[in-house]
Amino acid sequence: MSNTTTPATPRDQSTPKHGGKNRRDRANWPITIVLIVASLTVLVPLYVTVSMSLKTTEQAVSGNAFSLPWPINFSSFAQAWAMTDFPRAFTISVLVTVATVAGTIVLASLASYAIVRNWDRRLFRWSFFYLLATMFLPFPVVALPQIKLTGIVGLDNPAGVALLHIMFQLSFSILLYTAFLRSIPDELEESAKLDGASTWQTFWKLIFPLLAPMSATVGIFAFLISWNDFMMPSLITSDPSLQTLPVLQNIFQTQFSNSYNVAFASYLMAMAPAIIVYLFTQRWVMSGVTQGAIK
Amino acid sequence: MTTTNLNPSSPPSRRRFLAGMGAAGALAALSGCGTSAGSARTEVTFYETKPEAIPYFTGLAKNFTSSQERIRVIHDASSSLSASFVRRNPPDLGCLNYNLEMARFMERGALSDLSDMPATSRMRPNVQQLVNQYAIYPGRTSVLPYSVAAASVIYNKRIFAEHNLSVPATWEDMIEVCEKLTAAGVTPIYSTFRDPWTVAQGLFDYTVGGMVDVAAFYDRMDELGTEVGPQSDVSFQKTLLQPVTRMMKLAGYSNKDAPARGYGEGNTAMAHGKAAMYMQGPWAFGEIAKAGTDVDLGTFPLPMTDDPADRKVRVNIDLSLWIPEMSTVKEEARKFLSFLMQPKIQNAYNKEFLAFGTTKDAPPATDPRIAQMQDYYDKGRFYMGASQFIPRTIPAENYIQAIANGASIEGTLRRLDQDWARLAFRQ
Repeated sequence: MSNTTTPATPRDQSTPKHGGKNRRDRANWPITIVLIVASLTVLVPLYVTVSMSLKTTEQAVSGNAFSLPWPINFSSFAQAWAMTDFPRAFTISVLVTVATVAGTIVLASLASYAIVRNWDRRLFRWSFFYLLATMFLPFPVVALPQIKLTGIVGLDNPAGVALLHIMFQLSFSILLYTAFLRSIPDELEESAKLDGASTWQTFWKLIFPLLAPMSATVGIFAFLISWNDFMMPSLITSDPSLQTLPVLQNIFQTQFSNSYNVAFASYLMAMAPAIIVYLFTQRWVMSGVTQGAIK
Repeated sequence: MTTTNLNPSSPPSRRRFLAGMGAAGALAALSGCGTSAGSARTEVTFYETKPEAIPYFTGLAKNFTSSQERIRVIHDASSSLSASFVRRNPPDLGCLNYNLEMARFMERGALSDLSDMPATSRMRPNVQQLVNQYAIYPGRTSVLPYSVAAASVIYNKRIFAEHNLSVPATWEDMIEVCEKLTAAGVTPIYSTFRDPWTVAQGLFDYTVGGMVDVAAFYDRMDELGTEVGPQSDVSFQKTLLQPVTRMMKLAGYSNKDAPARGYGEGNTAMAHGKAAMYMQGPWAFGEIAKAGTDVDLGTFPLPMTDDPADRKVRVNIDLSLWIPEMSTVKEEARKFLSFLMQPKIQNAYNKEFLAFGTTKDAPPATDPRIAQMQDYYDKGRFYMGASQFIPRTIPAENYIQAIANGASIEGTLRRLDQDWARLAFRQ
């Protein structure tokens, strides 16, 4: 599909099944169709979400999720806004998420740096395995002790949630960072040290900027986990006025009742930051993923 | 971070500074807002999560707060109840559905005694008795029922009138009604087998409750415990065999696409008159009304025997009030409880949410959709759903769903017995 050095072959001349050196010049129809179908899996639910949020309650329960919302009705947004106390819940969600992302990036990169550069020492090697082992411990397993602990030390609030989010993100982020750090040559650091930089300065002035693509990846993962998490805030936070958005949205759907239009309006408002963040950072996410994969 | 060596020749890294400040600032801000603005009022946390009633109770909490100077009621609709008990800061007043899960708190003495409250003496004895069917804590009245939801077969009055059908009073009548409707090309029963709970709380509870003394059955089942099996005097495979066989007879009159239909679709279908009967509780009325059609619905208890006097309605404690032992402001919580129990407030709630009052002086239900059940309720001809007595550890709803979708009745009930005995052995 992209421009290449081979002279462009007119598309109508070649048959799609013909492979060989000119393949890149033509649209690969089988792959394109697969991609179109795959993109439908995202677009169809998105369409339902948007159209549902613009429906009235009567239209929402008409039994046809795909029907166009007409006349368009924006009152669901107002209702969702009021029922979740959106500005407050949104602020708390943002604070928890920002703290999680910042904390994860800083802690995980520092830890990974220490581990990779001291790999020949047993303490650091084993601490790496120890951290990796925590990946096999999902939150529900330790939920009850965590509830008790956070309650005892006064962290039964969003600060405790952010702290736990950081802890649970640490192992995966360190795994990503260490793989990436191994690809950075020692010589770079040696030259920095020759110029008189301390270890601390080497890290912040040399290594951390080099880690930027991986930090973006780690940050996005931390963002998504923290922003979308339901279980941890619902169990840890004790003051209902400090609850995050996903937990408050739970009131829209229960066993006995559904308010599709209000729920989807609320979901859409909660989704917006995730989509916006992704739009602006997808370049780094993708590059970060590949850089981690190929050493 | 700040104590580490800084080369004097280089200024602190801006990025590092920002990162540090950001993390510290965010955490400080988050933990800082935990304390609310100081005031002389005592705060009482009121826990109520029934979604459709949240605005209603928030309004009541506000009214109460402004009616006096000492107490501020905070409505909590989102916390996790179990977590709050684990953390030892449960809500001061709970107002929620009373079920087997909630009974576990009561059984272990986590709920305080309310027997000296004036409201307790106004309770209907047979309603207060319902609380004790799950579990008891000796010598205490820990839970006050606030509203009772009575459930029976929802039927479309217009369809019944069109085909000259009257409400069935015996099992044979019921089958006849279904046959006539089928012959006339009308779907007799709208079933939603995709949602397991709808089968359990609908068809299963109605058929079992209509034939078996549910409370006595589970009393005996609890006594037997590990002994439950093919040889025991009561068991799922023996006692429930006939009701469940009849349940499958009724299930045969369902819409053909029942296995693929859920609760939401069922409500939409009933709103548009797609079937004559629907095995759901009063909670479905609110959902059916959302479609905005002028469907005319009523309710009748499912007749399961040949004796019209055997007909009963299914009830559950829709909302109940309790105050945890751990609460530090019990006196204040009791004040709000008394406020909620005032006849004009309690009756208004029950009227609005299609439930029945729990006090002796409660007025009868007037809404035509549920008024037909008032007589059964007054005479105590009711039972609590059989599916509600089985601990969640046993996937009973899924077993019942499997039966509805064609699994062996004997085999599945035998499996329920085995699960029951195994659970009793573990405890």
